[in-house]
Amino acid sequence: MAQLQAELLKIRSTRTTVGLLLGMVGLVLLTVLLTGLVSTASTLMDKQNQLDLLGDGTLAGIFAALAGILLVTSEYRFGTIRPTFLFTPRRGRVISAKIVAGLVAGLVFGFLGEGLGFGIGYVILDGRGIPIALHGGDIPVLLVGALVGVALWGAIGVGLGAILQNQIGAVITLLAWGFIAENLLFVFEPSVGRFGPVHAGNAMVGGTTRHLLAPAAGTAILIAWTAALCAAGMVLNARRDVS
Amino acid sequence: MAPAVVCESLTKRFGEVTAVDDLSFAIEPGTITGFLGPNGAGKTTTLRVLLGLAAPTRGTALIFGRPYAQLDDPARRVGAVLEATDFHPGRSGRDHLRTLGRAVGFPDARVDEVLALVELTDAATRRVKGYSLGMRQRLGLAAALLGDPELLVLDEPANGLDPEGVRWLRDFLRGFSADGRSVLVSSHVLAEVAQTVDQVIIISHGRLVVESSLDQLTARVGGAVRVRSPDLAGLAAALRQHNVATTLTNDRALLVHGATSEQVGDIAFAAGIPVHELVGESSSLEDVFLSLTTEASP
Repeated sequence: MAQLQAELLKIRSTRTTVGLLLGMVGLVLLTVLLTGLVSTASTLMDKQNQLDLLGDGTLAGIFAALAGILLVTSEYRFGTIRPTFLFTPRRGRVISAKIVAGLVAGLVFGFLGEGLGFGIGYVILDGRGIPIALHGGDIPVLLVGALVGVALWGAIGVGLGAILQNQIGAVITLLAWGFIAENLLFVFEPSVGRFGPVHAGNAMVGGTTRHLLAPAAGTAILIAWTAALCAAGMVLNARRDVS
Repeated sequence: MAPAVVCESLTKRFGEVTAVDDLSFAIEPGTITGFLGPNGAGKTTTLRVLLGLAAPTRGTALIFGRPYAQLDDPARRVGAVLEATDFHPGRSGRDHLRTLGRAVGFPDARVDEVLALVELTDAATRRVKGYSLGMRQRLGLAAALLGDPELLVLDEPANGLDPEGVRWLRDFLRGFSADGRSVLVSSHVLAEVAQTVDQVIIISHGRLVVESSLDQLTARVGGAVRVRSPDLAGLAAALRQHNVATTLTNDRALLVHGATSEQVGDIAFAAGIPVHELVGESSSLEDVFLSLTTEASP
């Protein structure tokens, strides 16, 4: 618990986090405004397109993952990992506190991002007189899926950072996988690609794109990814020498 | 009393490179120990293994009888500074200490105490980015002191300090050890710590060269003979045949140890080597240190 407080203070005590939050808010606003105001009314009547609009807040996942990556890799980059491990030689305790801190940061990013995205998207649909195509459980699935999904991305960032330790390497890996590799995989081999973390996350919010998993299965898969990456990060950090 | 630090047959290899080679030494509590050797001798690697940041290839390194990571409350028993630059540049000095203190339950009031102790109170809320090297050194020391430890481990703490800073550090370490606490301080310059330490551990190429009190080391300071010759190599070889050791000085003279100037002159004459200068000199502690660490070269 004390270690978690320390990790949360690390997140709060540099301006980097504020920058990531601002970047996230800016990107969500831009996307939701562009999609909501530029798309034709008939396009926005489609359920998947509405989901995309109201779920634009899931973009916060990228920023949560970056925050998670920085929570580990900036310690290696600036050398603070040495005093950190001197104060807490049980490295598993440090990394697990970072994982929880990544989840907490992810919850904040997800709450803000999806709150903004859903709120503004809803107002736009309402203002343009477009009927809401989401029914019954669709909206709770979207909101809970977005929040949990973004939170998990915060922890995934910590896991990835703990595995690679190198800041630039981890950021490039995240972006290259999230924006390029997994999308290619999904296009060419959807039966495999749908098990990737990005598409599991899309399934979590109730995405209706062909080949996507059901929301519950998507949640399970994203949790499995998070657990696997975090476990690998814990094992590698426990063993490696700190130079 | 049990030793504060014990290394036994400690070996650390990185691939083909043996950084620390079968190193054994012990440090008694209540002493200031200088851990000396040229750059690359394996000092930092030894300290990292000692502090649990790197795993030994063979042997053991114990603090208060246990590996560092198995101490019950390491932050309250051992304080260490390994690099003067281990800070997030965008975090304030005070927040740096708070993040560390929070992990082991030190209150913020303790953070302010150590900031005052190292005279950083005025700069506490500024980001570390704007700190001078001397201020960073003191902030690192403040982190090490948070837990009011019994043992302080400092790796090259005088690097980059101005003379005033070195003096401040010296006074600080004396005060720290005055009440029975121990200090292990590494340096590649004996002169930097000679006025502070009680005992020295000198290593070279990862191996122990000398473990003794400073007094014993000082006793080794004796006369040497300085000799210049157009054929330094030949002269050194001739002296070596008589089991006389030499070191080459920076101004291309030989420093001869364990022989009188008469003996050196006779040996040179017998070997037919011209001598241009032959002076008896008393050597310094630094000469002893240099000769010890260069003799150990393979």
